[in-house]
Amino acid sequence: MSEETAQQLTDTDAAILSWETWDRVKHTERFAIVAAVVFVALWSWLFARAPITSELGGYHSLATTILIWSVFAIGFNLLLGQTGLLSFGHAMFWGGGGYAAALVSLHVYGDPVLMLVVGTTFTLLLAALTGVIALRLHAVYFAIITLAMGQLLYYLATSPLRPITGGRNGLTGIQLEPIFGLVYLGMPLPGIFGTLWVNYEYLLVATVFVLVIAFVNRIRKSPYGLIFRAIRENEQRVSFVGLNVWRYKFAAFLMSGGIVGLGGSLMTIESQFAGLGSLYWITSGEVVIMTVLGGVGTLFGPVLGAVIFLYFEGVVDGFPIVGRYWLLMLATVFTAIVWKYPDGLWGMLKLIASRIRSSVEDNP
Amino acid sequence: MTLLQTRNLTKSFGGLVAVDTVEIEVEENELVSVIGPNGAGKSTLINLITGMLTPTDGDVLYRDTNLAGKDPYEITQLGIGRSFQTASIFPELTVQDNVDVASFAAEQGSFTVNFLRRRDRYDSVRQRTADALELVDLEDEADVPAASLPYGDKRRLEVAIGLATDPDLLFMDEPTAGMSPAETEMTTNLIERMQTERGMTIVLVEHDMDIVFDVSDKILVLHRGEIIADGTPDEIRNDETVRSAYLGGEEI
Repeated sequence: MSEETAQQLTDTDAAILSWETWDRVKHTERFAIVAAVVFVALWSWLFARAPITSELGGYHSLATTILIWSVFAIGFNLLLGQTGLLSFGHAMFWGGGGYAAALVSLHVYGDPVLMLVVGTTFTLLLAALTGVIALRLHAVYFAIITLAMGQLLYYLATSPLRPITGGRNGLTGIQLEPIFGLVYLGMPLPGIFGTLWVNYEYLLVATVFVLVIAFVNRIRKSPYGLIFRAIRENEQRVSFVGLNVWRYKFAAFLMSGGIVGLGGSLMTIESQFAGLGSLYWITSGEVVIMTVLGGVGTLFGPVLGAVIFLYFEGVVDGFPIVGRYWLLMLATVFTAIVWKYPDGLWGMLKLIASRIRSSVEDNP
Repeated sequence: MTLLQTRNLTKSFGGLVAVDTVEIEVEENELVSVIGPNGAGKSTLINLITGMLTPTDGDVLYRDTNLAGKDPYEITQLGIGRSFQTASIFPELTVQDNVDVASFAAEQGSFTVNFLRRRDRYDSVRQRTADALELVDLEDEADVPAASLPYGDKRRLEVAIGLATDPDLLFMDEPTAGMSPAETEMTTNLIERMQTERGMTIVLVEHDMDIVFDVSDKILVLHRGEIIADGTPDEIRNDETVRSAYLGGEEI
């Protein structure tokens, strides 16, 4: 009897020990990066080709697109989730980066890395210009002026700048050159790598995805991460401890715009096309939905939001009969989740995990 | 030596003159209290000096620098801290993170490009936060979200944030409001220790007259935006104008 009790005690101790290790590990920087690497390594295969999960109807190019939109949502979340600024015009960075990447490939050279660099640099400049104006305003006025700026860019691209942007036809005929002059992105990967990742393009997208996760995670763990959250919570107090709130907001705006522009450039590489839709306000709205659905202010929440959103748009859309109602179904899911779990899907998963854990701990 | 001086300081909101040609002087290492009935302009005066409001007229001189028109963060970086009347904290951050925000501001200035450096590498910041939390006796609550603290603890956290900014001159707006008698006593002791041990200069706005007459070196009496008396606690206690205007002729 007493032996049994002792045995139980040690078991409980061991379990508590392992929870503690887990709690420590899951907050380390390396863990987030390793998790991101494992995710992108398996994602395309699980989504499009694995024996059971791929029955859900995923396909490889959608898997790639989801990763790219995730970059968009992660960049957007840096502004909304961390700093508390709701922009309704982030399509201007997504589309702006996309157009800049397309233009450099059409008129200069189509090296994917050059396209990414030019797209991101252009977006940083655009964010600097728009940020100086928009960040003078607060809350709803900030949302409205970013929306107006985004629409301004959309109309500029539609008509006055048609000779450059191609107007309603967009920019087509984008030729991708080999990356660093070495290998074409469309080239298939050999053997097991081909099964997992299909081609070099997926490798490029996955690399950018991991780098963005690592970058944002580092920001979150830097003084900026703390100051951004403090600004979200109580902007006045931040200025009264002696910090220049405006500059920190500007920095957040630049970083967010730059990441989104990087994603937009990737999208041009993926689709070999840049079109007006990428600048349209509905695109700005879609990224808000993804981010809020996945979990505002979390690192991986926006990825989850992008997965669900694009799954509905790309797969549920094709289901017989119910397919045409995909947007209605998505809206229902969105409302239900956000109503029940203000922290989105990521918050929901965390809550479920902690419930399971406490019931495990209570009944060892 | 005079640390802070206002000249002709005036603020009007439309037709209402909230602060009317106020001239005050605060000496280094002095504890000055500002008292006056509700609406006398005490908070407006603090807001003018710390940069939350821009004066309609007049100057604020701090160590020969004119503060009028400067932003709050610039004024704070010059060495003027403040704690707020309501607990102005960051509710969703932990107690430690709340104070860390101020510690970073004190250690590295109003803006620094260090978004690729991890904040757990800043030992001096951690030390500063630990010191501030120890002073207000909140070190055991470091990992608790600020929102879940009782009200008195939130006020102490608010004071710790003000202390971590490392001010030479600290404005405290009713620091003991909403505190229990024990917390009030602790805060009063803290205020005296900051003055004696750290050599800080403190300007206190306070309704509790026991505290005011107990700790102050000098008392300023505001009435309808004007300074009507200025002197040591004894002088103020025996001042006829103060009694009739503010204390309604009562004995204090």
